Amino acid sequence: MKKIIISEDDFQKFREFFYRKVGISFENDKRYFVDKRLIERIELTGANDFRDYFIMLRFEASGQELQQLINVMTINETYFFREEYQFKCLVNSILDEITRNKKDTSPIRIWCVPSSSGEEAYSIAIYLLEHWPGMTKWDVEIISSDIDSVMIERAQRGHYSSRSVQYLPATLLTKYFKPSGDGYQICEDLRSSIEFTCVNLMDSVEMRAYRKFDVIFCRNLLIYFDDLSRRLAAETFFDALNPNGFVCLGYSESMSRISSLFRVRKFPEAIVYQKPGVDL
Amino acid sequence: MPFIKKNNPTMDSYEHDCSRDLNELAVQLVDENPVIRRSAALNLAEHQGASEILIDRLKQDRDISVRDAILTTLISLGDTFAVIGLVECLRSEDAALRNEVVDAMKQLPEKVAPIMTSLLVDVNSDVRIFAVNILESLRHLQVETWLDRVIEDDPHINVCATAVDLLGEVGTSTSRAALIHLRSRFPDEPYICFAVNLALKRIGEDKGT
Amino acid sequence: MKRILIVDDAATVRLYYRTILESANYSVEEAINGIEALEKIMLISFDLCVVDINMPKLDGYGFLKELRRQAIDQPPVIMISTEAQASDRQQAYRLGANLYLIKPVKPSELLTHVRLLLGEARA
Repeated sequence: MKKIIISEDDFQKFREFFYRKVGISFENDKRYFVDKRLIERIELTGANDFRDYFIMLRFEASGQELQQLINVMTINETYFFREEYQFKCLVNSILDEITRNKKDTSPIRIWCVPSSSGEEAYSIAIYLLEHWPGMTKWDVEIISSDIDSVMIERAQRGHYSSRSVQYLPATLLTKYFKPSGDGYQICEDLRSSIEFTCVNLMDSVEMRAYRKFDVIFCRNLLIYFDDLSRRLAAETFFDALNPNGFVCLGYSESMSRISSLFRVRKFPEAIVYQKPGVDL
Repeated sequence: MPFIKKNNPTMDSYEHDCSRDLNELAVQLVDENPVIRRSAALNLAEHQGASEILIDRLKQDRDISVRDAILTTLISLGDTFAVIGLVECLRSEDAALRNEVVDAMKQLPEKVAPIMTSLLVDVNSDVRIFAVNILESLRHLQVETWLDRVIEDDPHINVCATAVDLLGEVGTSTSRAALIHLRSRFPDEPYICFAVNLALKRIGEDKGT
Repeated sequence: MKRILIVDDAATVRLYYRTILESANYSVEEAINGIEALEKIMLISFDLCVVDINMPKLDGYGFLKELRRQAIDQPPVIMISTEAQASDRQQAYRLGANLYLIKPVKPSELLTHVRLLLGEARA
């Protein structure tokens, strides 16, 4: 088999394209990492060389290869307390702003999408119980949704591997989990406190039932969507939020590649996005 | 635990009342409440033939969330009226609207391709620049040929500059002669020299497929 | 070393400004549109921004409007655009631009204005 080589100019060309489409910019010190994965995809797709592969990547109507490439260039793993800085932002900044502006005592509504196997929604619940003083005053509703019904079942079951709980402080593991089989079972109180639903974000009719949220967590999902799907997801989130509600994206994601509908907001812990209020 | 759980996500009563009728939606599209206008714009996606009233509204509406919804619906309708209307908006005085429209047209590659030749020779240089911007997303065999023609013929330096940027990404050795010629057309423009040299370097030792 | 943020959706343009500014010993960061520019300004401080007008998602005017209304760092802004009409220039200044230049910009021209705005111009 012929040896595939990525030249300096190939790398720069790819880097610019990937940055524009995905929002991730690889510095030169990532060259080895990027080259290795590019070569792997070039070989797997049967492309002749970088040039052929790049043309396919750029012009492929379905965008499937770009999705594959994003997969290998990013780490998509879910575990408890992943990207914890955002939960800190939630309890230290976001919720206080929301409760300050709330005109009634209706529950705070939080939507996690995609639910995946539930780690994120449960992490938020634990974080609120442990770190948000407002829990004594406010009711909170957490809804966690995924397109995949198998994931929803797993989330509802609440059984996790030790790998998935490895970043949880030991005290919290003891407090909210019981060892079970070769992993851990989340406690019944938490299990019953979250509503898990199966949804398709692209189905606008189905989405009409998702309204009046204060915060949406949508991490590491839109990065895999094509431009049109990103646009539709942003429309859905906009309508699902109350005025001044927030969207939290994943660490390597930015609204700059997704939509103009939201305003960028800086908090000490994180940058998040906000639906403009009605006065504007 | 103070977590509460409802059995079903809430159904908004307003949403239930939302009309599906074209005429009613057309009235809602000019309502004074932007929430109603936005909802009408999204619901019009179910009506082939709604493009004209949507375009009409797009040109006037000052609310970003309404314009965004209108554009989303126009993308999904994607008919001739939508495309013609979007092209008209490229000539708008409103910079934000023009940029939003370019973004939308990038998502209609098949619909825009047939009119690309005429957009690229439009009398308005701004429209030509936007046309090159739209080419960025076009998955079409002609893209390189179109870009070559722009840098060969277009008298406006900024139209050529925009085209060279894209050629650095999609160009092959076919474009080499046109690039060199462009450099000689604007010998005193450092930016053009810089961009042409970069594009030539990126094109590299190409077999010219 | 003074830090400058370049905001333009065209990769070649960003690289052109970067090359000029780095040769004059400025440190340079890039953003592809107004939203990304705001995010960068929220994360690190800049001495100056060089901003295009026509960009997707959030254009130069939208960027200026949002920058000036938020309680974040307020670096001076040079707008550089293909728009040559007086109305565009007026709009940029009204929204708080410090300078308005028309593309394409020559290296010496860019550096002169950057130095002036950074208060480094020699008499």
